[in-house]
Amino acid sequence: MKLSYRLKIGLIIILIASFFLVLNLTPFGKEIKNFFYLISSPIQKIFWKTGNKISDFFEVIFRIKDLKRENEELKLKIQTLEAENVTISELKKENEILREALEIGLEKEFGLQLAQVIGKDVSQDLILINKGLKDGILEGFPVISQQKLLIGKISEVYKDFSKVLLISNPKSSFDAKIADSDIFGVVKGKGNLKILFDFIPQEKEIKEGDLVVTSVLGGIFPQGLLVGKINEVTKSDLKPFQKAQIQPVFNIGNLEKLFIITEW
Amino acid sequence: MVKKIFFLILLFYFLTLLQTSFFLHFPFRHLLNLVLIIVVLINLFEARKEKLGLFSAFFGGFFLDIFSENFIGFWILILLAISIFIKLILKKHVRIPVISRV
Repeated sequence: MKLSYRLKIGLIIILIASFFLVLNLTPFGKEIKNFFYLISSPIQKIFWKTGNKISDFFEVIFRIKDLKRENEELKLKIQTLEAENVTISELKKENEILREALEIGLEKEFGLQLAQVIGKDVSQDLILINKGLKDGILEGFPVISQQKLLIGKISEVYKDFSKVLLISNPKSSFDAKIADSDIFGVVKGKGNLKILFDFIPQEKEIKEGDLVVTSVLGGIFPQGLLVGKINEVTKSDLKPFQKAQIQPVFNIGNLEKLFIITEW
Repeated sequence: MVKKIFFLILLFYFLTLLQTSFFLHFPFRHLLNLVLIIVVLINLFEARKEKLGLFSAFFGGFFLDIFSENFIGFWILILLAISIFIKLILKKHVRIPVISRV
């Protein structure tokens, strides 16, 4: 009786083992799995969709606190990224300006320092830039735009900032000439962004549209920098010299980045 | 008995489907093994002479194996071992008059 019981157990174990072996080592196992997947797939789809919907619903409820925190974090991140974006676009602009300057060949002619305009006082024809003593800026250094237009000269230097006296400032006066000619004169600021070309000899013929550039005579500015265009000529037989209004070629509203000439 | 076994087959089939497609979406999916829980409960609360626990272990394990990546027999063996273990413990070490009367 005892033996037959053991035999029974042994037989059952052998049967189960052979059952598993047959299922796993022959393609029959795959067939069985395939059959069950086939008949279960419609039910599984329903379960899957329902589970997905329900878990989404509960996830929203359980994660409200997290979502709030995440939202705040993301907002903060957006702000940081926006700030970074602004910095990047500033750098891009600066890069473009430098590239333009390189193409013109400014860097070959002069030693340059790029500066950013941080304040404008149009009524006094002054601008404030972000370079100062720390950057090696000294009083009297000429300031130009990337297109080689004369803007003015450094009038006051602070540790980190400098004031630029625009050429239209009444305190500004320097020698200039009509481009491609030997007509010399003195450019004087008249204030309010107006410039006068004075002391032009009577016998010299100048006309509207002539370009005025800096001359080597004064030594204040390097020669050949564009000052502006002759706008209106005033000639009087009673006076030994003729005068002309110069229209500045730069637009003060658009000035953002400037070059300070440190060597010429 | 045949009715009971048929019911068990259906029950474990749907439990396995629930486990592999419905509860997968919830965070406790790794902790929840419905088939295992039901097999353990059946083995704990069935009458001592009944063999339903062993059948439940076999069918539960079979469906778990079908819908999992393991070889067929992995869960069958584990659940059968668990149910035999529970039966042995109950037989040798537990004496509860209420349960023995059932």
